Amino acid sequence: MQKSESLSKTNTPKRFRMNLKTRETIAAYLFLSPFIILFSVFVIRATFYAIQMSFFDWTILRPFKPFVGLANYKELINDDVWWLALKNTLYFSIITVVGTSAVALAAALAINQPQVKGKEFFRVLLYMPSLLSVGVIGLTWVWLLNTQFGIVNYLLSFIGIRPINWLGDGKLVIPALSLTTIWWGFGFPMLIFLAGLQGIPEQLYEAARIDGARQGQIFWRITLPLLRPTLLFVTVTGFIAHFQVFGQPFIMTRGGPGRASYTVIFYLYEAAWRAFRMGYGSAIAVALAIIIIIFTLLQFRFIGRRVEY
Amino acid sequence: MKRQKFLSSLPSYAYLIILGLIVILPLIMIFSQSLMSNQEINRWPPKIYTPEPVFSNYVNMFKRPDLKLARWLFNSIFAAAAYTLAVFVICAPAAYAFARLRFPGNNVLFFILLATVMVPGQVTLIPNFLLVRNLHMLDTFHVLIWPGAANVFAVFLLRQFFMQVPKELEEAAVLDGASYWGRFWRIVLPLSTNALVALGIFVFLGHYNDLFWPLITTNSIEMRTLPVGLTLLNFSYGGMERPLVLAGAIFASVPVLIVYVIFQRQIIKGVAMTGMGGR
Repeated sequence: MQKSESLSKTNTPKRFRMNLKTRETIAAYLFLSPFIILFSVFVIRATFYAIQMSFFDWTILRPFKPFVGLANYKELINDDVWWLALKNTLYFSIITVVGTSAVALAAALAINQPQVKGKEFFRVLLYMPSLLSVGVIGLTWVWLLNTQFGIVNYLLSFIGIRPINWLGDGKLVIPALSLTTIWWGFGFPMLIFLAGLQGIPEQLYEAARIDGARQGQIFWRITLPLLRPTLLFVTVTGFIAHFQVFGQPFIMTRGGPGRASYTVIFYLYEAAWRAFRMGYGSAIAVALAIIIIIFTLLQFRFIGRRVEY
Repeated sequence: MKRQKFLSSLPSYAYLIILGLIVILPLIMIFSQSLMSNQEINRWPPKIYTPEPVFSNYVNMFKRPDLKLARWLFNSIFAAAAYTLAVFVICAPAAYAFARLRFPGNNVLFFILLATVMVPGQVTLIPNFLLVRNLHMLDTFHVLIWPGAANVFAVFLLRQFFMQVPKELEEAAVLDGASYWGRFWRIVLPLSTNALVALGIFVFLGHYNDLFWPLITTNSIEMRTLPVGLTLLNFSYGGMERPLVLAGAIFASVPVLIVYVIFQRQIIKGVAMTGMGGR
């Protein structure tokens, strides 16, 4: 409210004559000021403070927090749990992104077929799990994947597969969490792919058909190349999002069995809020940020080049 | 010809129907199992339907002293609504400035915003946790509203939307003596309503479903949000009283699904419009 008053005051030219440029600048900064204040405190300051904290032995319970230089990072490099968490996270992100994109792209292609009816229905139905909270997803899938009573093992028993200990087997726990996440999240890339598919002009398909192209050729030569920017968006944003996975292991396995489903953010949580080692936790957070930034740039270069032709 | 067309679409139908079943079956199953007794749910083979549904889980859920589901639902809805409002109040004027006003520092500021998008939000968790702790904001609604309110993503989207409003309309208003605020409040904002609704839904749902931040910044049983509460519910009762836990999951999902049924069109359209997925 205050803002509108001060702005209308600057509009009465009798008391002071400001030129238009100055008035526009003042107005702009008034519009921006609430954002700038909160942004400076909770984003800019916080980011720099995290970097700073990573050079200290910062434990919440001790008042003395000595500067330790690179000690946290040295510890990180020699920390087997960190490397395990990183490996798990990378494994999880890759199979989840690939799985999600494949399921979503196939669904989008199917819905986009001109002959298929009930497009609206399928879109609404298939997007539904994406709206549920990770809390709901976690405790639903813990039960569905239960070794003794879970429906997944029940369905598999029909094709002669003996009960699988999905969440209790160190080799299977990451694929199981990934399966859960694909079920939860494929609806979003599906809708993005659909929007991308609708952006491809119909004439291109017609021309290809007149030239006698087969379905497969049309997909590989027209649809996929033209969908590359969408594919880039889906894989980059998906990878970054999945790399920050926390809820699924936290709820479904608590990092177990052993540490087989420790992820980077899960380890950050353990270090900072279980062991209260905020300095070491900051080092983990900074390392994560560096990895994500590098990966974003790499992925853009790698796929970005191929988008061009 | 017609027959051939139908045949060619069969694989698509088959895929969509199987996928649809994979999506819907788990949800139907946890609903029906939430109506089972502790004995019935632990029977082989697992059943998708129960001949004698019991509603005691839905009653017990509200009676346990360590479970406050109604309160958690209120917390989640209230915090998410307040947060969404805060995002609009703080980000919309900023987005308008970036979209329409010329001022020195414009490019530098915008570049800083762009740069921070690449940095994952987890970097700010520890410093922001310590800050709100020092401000004695832990375990209050403030902590669920303010730290994330300067939402860079919202600024980008709103800027995009505002730039699509025809400039001529604003120019006409200037001739009528409208202030900068008047141009924003009376012209640009009302003309972006559709986009605002779409953005609002996803900002709301993203907050409603968030787990990490409320997990570390709330600690009393009264101040937990639903995702955190459900996690605790699973930790305490997941082993022995599975139907109770599933009833909790259903309880938490119903509000979201109701919103989805009402706003399905806006939500589906909004995903492509905003590039946000509700997470």
